[in-house]
Amino acid sequence: MATLSMSGLTKRFGDIEVIRGVDIDIADGEFVVFVGPSGCGKSTLLRMIAGLEDISGGELRIDDHLVNDMQPRDRGIAMVFQTYAIFPHMSVRENLGFGLTIAKVPKAEKEQRVMQAARILQMEHLLDRRPSQLSGGQRQRVAIGRAIVREPSVFLFDEPLSNLDAALRMDMRMEIGKLHEQLGATMIYVTHDQVEAMTLADRIVVIKDGIVQQVGAPMELYHQPANRFVAGFIGSPSMNFLPVEVQSVDHDSALVASTSLDAVRVPMRVEPLKSGDQALLGLRPQYLVPTNEQDAGQLHGTLSLVERLGSETVVDVNTRENTRLVAAIADDRTFETGTEIAFTFDPNRAHLFSAAGDGALNK
Amino acid sequence: MADSKLTRSNRTGWLMSLPGFTLVALFIIVPFFFAFGLSMTNQRLVSPNPTKYVGLENYRQMLDIALVTLQPERDASGTVIRDDEGTIQYPRLRRLSRSDPAFERYKGMREWFGWQSGESHKAVVVRDPLFWIALRNTLLFVLVVAPVQGGIALGLALLVNQKLRGINAFRTIYFMPVVVSIVVVSLLWRFIYDGNDGLLNNLLDTLSFGAIPGVDWLGNPSTALGAIMAMSIWQAVGFHMVIWLSGLQTISPTLYEAADIEGASKWQAFRYVTWPGLRNTAVLVIIVITMQAFALFAQIDVMTNGGPLDSTQSLVFQAVERGYGKQDISGGSVISVVLFVLVLAISLVQRWLTRDRQN
Amino acid sequence: MISHDNHGLRLAVRYAVLVLVAIIFVFPLLFMVMSSLKPDHQLLVDTGSLRAFLPVGDISFDNYAAAFQRAPISTFVINSVIVTGVTVMLSLAICSLSAFSFVFLRWSGRNLLLSILLATLIVPFETIAIPLLLLVSKLPWLGLDGLEQGWLNSYHVQILPFAADALTIFLFVQYFKDLPSELVEAARVEGASWFQIYLKIIMPLAGPVVATAAILRFLFMYNQYLWPLMVVQSDEYRPVMVGLQYFFQLDTPWGEVMAYLSLITIPVLGFYLMLQRAFIASIASTGVKG
Ligand SMILES: Nc1ncnc2c1ncn2[C@@H]1O[C@H](COP(=O)(O)OP(=O)(O)OP(=O)(O)O)[C@@H](O)[C@H]1O
Ligand SMILES: [Mg+2]
Repeated sequence: MATLSMSGLTKRFGDIEVIRGVDIDIADGEFVVFVGPSGCGKSTLLRMIAGLEDISGGELRIDDHLVNDMQPRDRGIAMVFQTYAIFPHMSVRENLGFGLTIAKVPKAEKEQRVMQAARILQMEHLLDRRPSQLSGGQRQRVAIGRAIVREPSVFLFDEPLSNLDAALRMDMRMEIGKLHEQLGATMIYVTHDQVEAMTLADRIVVIKDGIVQQVGAPMELYHQPANRFVAGFIGSPSMNFLPVEVQSVDHDSALVASTSLDAVRVPMRVEPLKSGDQALLGLRPQYLVPTNEQDAGQLHGTLSLVERLGSETVVDVNTRENTRLVAAIADDRTFETGTEIAFTFDPNRAHLFSAAGDGALNK
Repeated sequence: MADSKLTRSNRTGWLMSLPGFTLVALFIIVPFFFAFGLSMTNQRLVSPNPTKYVGLENYRQMLDIALVTLQPERDASGTVIRDDEGTIQYPRLRRLSRSDPAFERYKGMREWFGWQSGESHKAVVVRDPLFWIALRNTLLFVLVVAPVQGGIALGLALLVNQKLRGINAFRTIYFMPVVVSIVVVSLLWRFIYDGNDGLLNNLLDTLSFGAIPGVDWLGNPSTALGAIMAMSIWQAVGFHMVIWLSGLQTISPTLYEAADIEGASKWQAFRYVTWPGLRNTAVLVIIVITMQAFALFAQIDVMTNGGPLDSTQSLVFQAVERGYGKQDISGGSVISVVLFVLVLAISLVQRWLTRDRQN
Repeated sequence: MISHDNHGLRLAVRYAVLVLVAIIFVFPLLFMVMSSLKPDHQLLVDTGSLRAFLPVGDISFDNYAAAFQRAPISTFVINSVIVTGVTVMLSLAICSLSAFSFVFLRWSGRNLLLSILLATLIVPFETIAIPLLLLVSKLPWLGLDGLEQGWLNSYHVQILPFAADALTIFLFVQYFKDLPSELVEAARVEGASWFQIYLKIIMPLAGPVVATAAILRFLFMYNQYLWPLMVVQSDEYRPVMVGLQYFFQLDTPWGEVMAYLSLITIPVLGFYLMLQRAFIASIASTGVKG
């Protein structure tokens, strides 16, 4: 079991700085998920923790030991790769026991630990197969099993499920969750699948362009995004951003309005704004409630597209100033495209952001 | 750049590559530069005298070539002297270079070949005829073998690229001589080419009911080099067939279907689909053949020893004859360097041709 | 439009051409083997007819026995096996190890060294043979009898200059580059040293390129002529190709010559016919360099 601490970590490839000062502390037994758009540096950060990339600046500590220059094998970590990286010329048994073979662990103990891992992942019957005789899900199990056998204090996963189909992905996701409960080890998990992040994580780290945007529990990120980028990145369908004008400001709330939005007072949590500022009002699609009476609504537009998914109905709306708005309405409802529609929402669930910049932290 | 020692493995990296690199350095790179150095000395394999640096003298000796015009011998009255058969008499170059200051520069040189021009005789004189003959033969060998072997190889490749039952067996057979040593092949063909009891003569005799007279293929200066060319092509053509074949197989079958729909004839399909798709392969094949042809040695050594009348001398054969046979290391090295320059020129041409395509 | 007959005729023509060409490639070799089985007088008569390619008449292995009388053939064969076998083994080990460090390890000087190595691809052996001869004639060697001067007349003079070469390294480098680097990283995380990764992960996956390199090296070494001709004067170390010189004399009975040629060629041909796909593939791979 181990704690992990990163302070001021940076990574350069030539002149390009890919990781730009990352500070995160991870507690013993915590499940931390790195998310972010493609190319933001998630894998690079994970590989720096693994010792596969060297660290250009800053400090990485595992259990309070500085490990910047420590070889991967000495860090007490195990890693599961997106492409599984199981050795094609070895049987499942040999793959699982590879690390122990290298470490010259006595045969009996090796056998026992391999069997135990196989039992945990319910693949005792696969032990004598070759990787080529396994399905994708089974291969990923072998890769995870190989990590388990080493009894590492930190597990590292780099998009382990992205090569699997949707149904299998859900099964494996649950299994990884169970595994974490069972082993109680520290786990760091890279993904760009929100559902994986939200369901698995104790804490989520949102990264953009090599900079940590926010660290927090899934619901914290969902309900109190630290900036517009995080607000837009977490949640599906993504949050709507409606251009509005600030009409007056209280000490922690603001009165905002636009052509399609009746004036409404919303909390001002993220950044201070002043009267007359252009701002963006963040509204989650799930929190928009359609009303039948035009005049009772706060937000007005025209229906342009209706998608009925059974469990919910997703509608696209053109507001009066012609911005696109998405609303997700629980349960199956029928709407007529082209008709006028109005929504109400709970102002306390709205987020107000400045319209300036791209909304993300930047150095 | 300050790299941490984490992902750098300088010691292991060097240790692992060192055996290979040391061997290549010692046995390829060092001799390569040695060749340049030695070619500027008077080094012999075993010699009591110390080795001396002679600069470009060896090259000057070997590459010295000139065109001289000899005026006919005239008697006192100024009439051209002719012998009994009416052939014009010319002074001997040897005598001229001793007596006439204008010809002193040609001292020690010999006529390589010459021709009649009006009354005078033009002669190409060289200091080292054997070298020039070897160079000419080698270039001739290259110029004939490269296109002929390349062309036949392409024909064979097209032949075995057909979709027929058992085609793989034919591929295997055509390739067979490639795995047989050129030395073995040469000795075998010495028997086939033999003037008295050779297979070729006897077969020709039988097939033509005695109409074709026997030829001593390797004993006749006018057929020896040609015979060696034919055999060399026979031995190596399968090699290039395989290269063409892998080129052919990169051409998408849909292109042929398209050509078929357009109503193209077989020849048109080849001209407009196959051949453009083979451009790179063609360059490759020609280059590889040329390189191999420049190395012509074993056939000569086994079959003719450079004869008859030096008609089959080659550069490598001369290099070995001098460097090893006569223990004249510097002489052999000069030829090696010349050979290398030729090969380098060829690979530069290849670079240039393939770059052309990418633009 | 194409009648069945027409189709059949075309097919027949195609096969006829294929067979005719095949005859050109097979018959000289067939002639060699058949001749080795016939006494000289019959051999010469037979060359006038198709009997030259058939095992007819007075068939025996007498020529083989006579050839063994004329030259120490078994010594030559053993020498060839030793020189070829050891060189192929050494070359596979040394070149694959070099290529491994070039592809998977990061170290200073790596790119420079690799470029230098690949530059030697365009140096034909024939152009360095003479200076190499001088070099090995001066190199010291620590033998059983102490320090010796000069490598001539030995096994190592035939082996070491060919124990590493750019083409083999290049073939391994190309192959290794296509292997997923995650395999190496996974092994590193599992605690394997570089040498263990080479031995336990990479080499077991290198089967195809090992076969290619082994075949190319084998053909090159077994068929070598110029080099052993220059560096070996004693029968004790002479390989089969140079041993041929025993049969160069003009008065050599052709039957014996053909027996010797068959003897040193048939094993290779057998080998080739067994593994023809691998042979052809390996030759094709030499074409992709550059
Ligand atoms: N070896 C390298 N050399 C140069 N640049 C690199 C290297 N590896 C990664 N990068 C760059 O670093 C940035 C981050 O890459 P990284 O693989 O960490 O992204 P990622 O967040 O994992 O993306 P994805 O979700 O697509 O896997 C990218 O812009 C990438 O191009
Ligand atoms: Mg990634």
